[in-house]
Parts: sequence; C-alpha cells; structure tokens
Amino acid sequence: MVIEITDVIISGLINGSVYALMAVGLTLIYGVSKAFNFAYGSFYSLGGYIAFLLFGLSFINNYFLVFVLAVPILLVFGFFVEKTLVAPLRKRDDWEIKVMMITLGLALFLDNSFQVIFGSRMKSLPPFLEGGFEAGDFYLSHQDVGIFFLSIGGILLFRWFLNNTRTGMSVRAVAQNPAGAQIVGIPKEFVFAATFAISTVMVGMGGILLAQKYFITPMGGWDILVKAWVITAFGGMGSIRGGLYAAFIVGMLEAFVGWYFGMTWTLIVLFAVLLTTLAVRPQGLLGKWG
Amino acid sequence: MDHKRITFLLALIWTIVAVLPLFFGGTNFIMHILIMCLIWSVVASCWDLIMGFAGIFSFGQVAFFVMGAYASAIISAQFSIPPIFAVFVAGGITAAIGILVGLPCLKLKGAYIALVTFAVHMILEPVLKGDIGRAMGTGGSRGLLTIEPMHIFGYTFTTASPVPYFYLMLLVAVLCSVIILVVIKSHWGTAFLALKDSQEFATCLGVSAFKYKLRVFALTSFLTGMMGGFYAHYVGMLSTRMLGIDLFVTLMVILVIGGVGKFPGAIIGAFITIAVNELLSPLGPYRPITMGAMVVILVLVLPDGIVGLFERLFSKKQHGMTH
Repeated sequence: MVIEITDVIISGLINGSVYALMAVGLTLIYGVSKAFNFAYGSFYSLGGYIAFLLFGLSFINNYFLVFVLAVPILLVFGFFVEKTLVAPLRKRDDWEIKVMMITLGLALFLDNSFQVIFGSRMKSLPPFLEGGFEAGDFYLSHQDVGIFFLSIGGILLFRWFLNNTRTGMSVRAVAQNPAGAQIVGIPKEFVFAATFAISTVMVGMGGILLAQKYFITPMGGWDILVKAWVITAFGGMGSIRGGLYAAFIVGMLEAFVGWYFGMTWTLIVLFAVLLTTLAVRPQGLLGKWG
Repeated sequence: MDHKRITFLLALIWTIVAVLPLFFGGTNFIMHILIMCLIWSVVASCWDLIMGFAGIFSFGQVAFFVMGAYASAIISAQFSIPPIFAVFVAGGITAAIGILVGLPCLKLKGAYIALVTFAVHMILEPVLKGDIGRAMGTGGSRGLLTIEPMHIFGYTFTTASPVPYFYLMLLVAVLCSVIILVVIKSHWGTAFLALKDSQEFATCLGVSAFKYKLRVFALTSFLTGMMGGFYAHYVGMLSTRMLGIDLFVTLMVILVIGGVGKFPGAIIGAFITIAVNELLSPLGPYRPITMGAMVVILVLVLPDGIVGLFERLFSKKQHGMTH
C-alpha cells in the first residue's frame, strides 16, 4: 500500500514536471500575444516524430545529439509557422478566432500527415537512461529521474532566459504592454514569433521526453493539448508560476484518480476540478484579467 | 449586410436547393448528401450565431448535436414518443444543458469559454461510453443501431426514398434560418453588436449581457440539439465516433468558407464543404490532409469567406460607379 502510493506520487511528480514544461509554453504564447494555438498538441507529436527520425539516422546514438539537433529544427519550425500563418492575421480585428481556426487546420494537416508518413502504429523511443534505484519492492527508474530533472531544468533555463537576457526581457515587456514596448523600440513582431518558436520547442521537448514512457501516435497530441489547456486555465492564462503549480496539481490528481478510480475517470475529474475552480476564480489560480 | 439583401440571398439559396431534387431525385446517394448539407447548414448557422454574432467562443456545438441525437433516439425508444415530438423534447434537453454550460461561461472570457465548451465535447465521449451512459441507454461503445425512423401522420420516412425527408429537412432549415435572421436583425442582434464592441459600455447603457448571452446559448443549443434528433432518426444509428475531430473540423471549414459572422454564408459554406468533402473521398487518407491545408489557405486568402469576397467585389463596383 505504502509502496503503491509512493509509486503514484512519483508518477504524478514526473508527469507533472513534463506537463509544467508544456503548459508554460502554452501560457507563454497566450500571455504574450493573446493567440491560442490549437496545433499545440500536434507540435508535441512532431517533437516525438523528429526524435524518432533522428534515431533512425546511423550516426545518432544518444539523446544529447537528438536534443542538439531537435531544438533548432523545432525553433525554426515554430518561427516559420508564426511568421507565415499567425502574423498575417494579426492586423484583423477578429484575429483571435481566425488564429484558432488556422491552427486547428494546421493540426488536422499535421496529424494526418503523421498518419500517412509514419502509419497509425505506435512508435516508441529508446529509454533515455537504463537501470534504476531499487530498495526492496520499491523501484525508481533512472529514466524517470532524468525526465523530471530535464523538465525542471528546462523551466529554470526558461526562467533565466526571461529574467536575464535581452530577448527575454523584451518578451516580458511585450506581454505587459505591447504598445508601450513598441514605443520604446522593441520589435514586437519578432518577439511574437520568438515566443511562438520557444513554446514550440518546449512542447516538442515534452514530446521527446514523454514519448519514451508512453508512445507517439498521430492523434496523441489532442490529449496533451487538452491537458496543457486545462493546466493553463487552471493556473491562470498568462501566469507562468500559476501554470507551474497547476501542472503539479493536475499531475498528482491524474495519478491518484487513475490509480483509485481507473483511467477513464481522469478527464472527467480534471474538468470537474477545473469548472469548480473557474466558478470560484474565473481568472484561474494566479491569473489576472486582461 | 442589410436584412433585405440577406432575405434575398436566403430566398435565392433555398429556391435553388428546393429544385435540386428535380435533377438528382433519382440518385439516393446525392439526395443523402443534400440532406446532410441541410442539417449541417443549420448547425453551422447556429455556431455562426453564437460565435460570429454574439462573440462567444463556443466550441461545444458538435457536443450539443450529439447530445440531441442521443436524447431523441433514447426518448423515442424508451417512452415510445413519436420521433417528431421526441426531436423537440431533445431540443429542450440540449437547451437546458446549453444554459447549464452557459452559466459558468458568462463569467469567463475568450479562450476560457472555448476551453469550458470544448471540455463538454471531450467529456461527452467517456460519459456516453461509460456506465452512466449505458444506464441511460446509449448502448456504450457499440452505440445505438436501431433508431425509430421519422413518421408523421402514418407516413414513414425511409432512407430508401430520401426525397420526402429532403423536403422535411428543407422546411426545417428554412424555418431555422428565418429564426436566425430575425434574431440577428432584432434588438438581440443589436445588443450582441454592442456587447461585442464594448461590454462595459453596453452594460452601462442597460444591455444585460447575462440575459442575452444565456438566451443565445439556449437558442443555439435548442436548434442544434433538434437537428441532432432529425439526423438520428434519418440515419438510424449513432455512435460516439461523431465526436472525433473530423466532424468538428468539417463544421469549422463550413464557417471558414462561408465567413464568420456573415450569416447566410454558413449555409452556402455547408453546401460547398460537404460537396467538396464527398468529391475528395477518393483521396482516402489524403483527404483530411487536404482539408487541413484548405482551412489554412482559406483563412489566409479568404478571411471573410465567400460572402465577404462578394461583399468586397460588390462594394468595389459601387465605389467605381460613384466616381
């Protein structure tokens, strides 16, 4: 019993850490540019498939190389998508709904392309680390520990980037006041594209990390989109710290509900908690209206 | 667009549609597609009403449709109510659920509303498939396979001869489009316009956001649920597969092609989209890819849809004449 509960807590913590990485990415785009990206889940699958393809290359045999190659690919992809698809819509007054529509179209396009290219069979990635810690019945794999620290490291790196680099500070400035940021000479358009690219990297990384534990499927991203969305709304859209707390709460909740009631209930319970939270605090845990 | 031009466009569309069976009446396959076009034109118009005119990002339209379909099928089977009444009861049930969903949404903004309504969509599948759904008679993951066909005054509509059902659906679609037109052009429509432009200012002028938004939730979910019922009694079987992303995107394509907030556009969009979707079916797995690419390109090239394109051409011509 005790060991079972510890297992559940650990799985909640690990999933929570990866969810945090992905939710922070989603909340970032929303906080900075007020755009909602429906293709976010497909970017998750894209990350997984890129890693899968990279492992198919003969000279790649470890995750370090995969990360080194996947990050620039995702970065360029995200930048390109923002510049060609989202940026032209920004001039319109009903652009929010148009962005939702165009990203939904993109999601459909990407998901079904994955289906045609890779087939609907599940793809798996080799584990990131072998072995594990053992103490009696208790077992903790090195892979889980690695995933946890990589996600947390990713978030800390992102925090450092926001607080200490010039680009990061301009991202924060645009989030606070786009017009004001433009007046003091911050290239708003570039910041929008850069945040989109960074969020693509974050969710793509989440895809690479989680694909080792679960599998990559063409439609698997929808589940992730909904979870990241629930977490951002729960924590408050645009609030990174709120998203962080919410991700761990959701990860724990999911692990415990899945263990106690069965996996089919997790989504229902998640939405019930979300609705109750939003009924009491419409702006989410730490969100501000705006 | 002023209401005269919308009325004219509506009359034109429905007249053209009404004479189509003269040419295709013999081909059941094409009549079936036309019936689907009529059903989706109403659902898409409702979505346009709530999203394009009222400015509420509701993503639960497919969920309401499926709820209506299941509700009508279950009611007609378990309480032996004739389908023609069951359809309206189902509409009432979905309207009640619509109000329930609408209540928390009134406090929320933009993407939050999209999430809550999409959540209804996401929860519906496990609920219908799970124990709760099976207790209500949804048939679990197998779905409902024998739904009573629609009958009025002893006449039974069958899929074998779809022309009568086509005219029934045409009548329903015409009525629904008239209702939507009246709503858009009455003080409701004006209230929505005011609320969309500036909610604070409109509320100060005495426009109750609460009342109007809840009403639009009730109306659109009623009509959508009703159409779900008509769909169920026509097709004769239901499964949760309708809740997949395909149908959702098809509806969205309809709105993109027709133009968001350009009312008769959704109806034109429905006919074009469903027809193109059928034409693309030989592409097999490449069909959804093409649909996705089409959405992306159309949003970029034709941001206001076909109606927007016509409006632009028309106003340019007028502009040219005055000079």
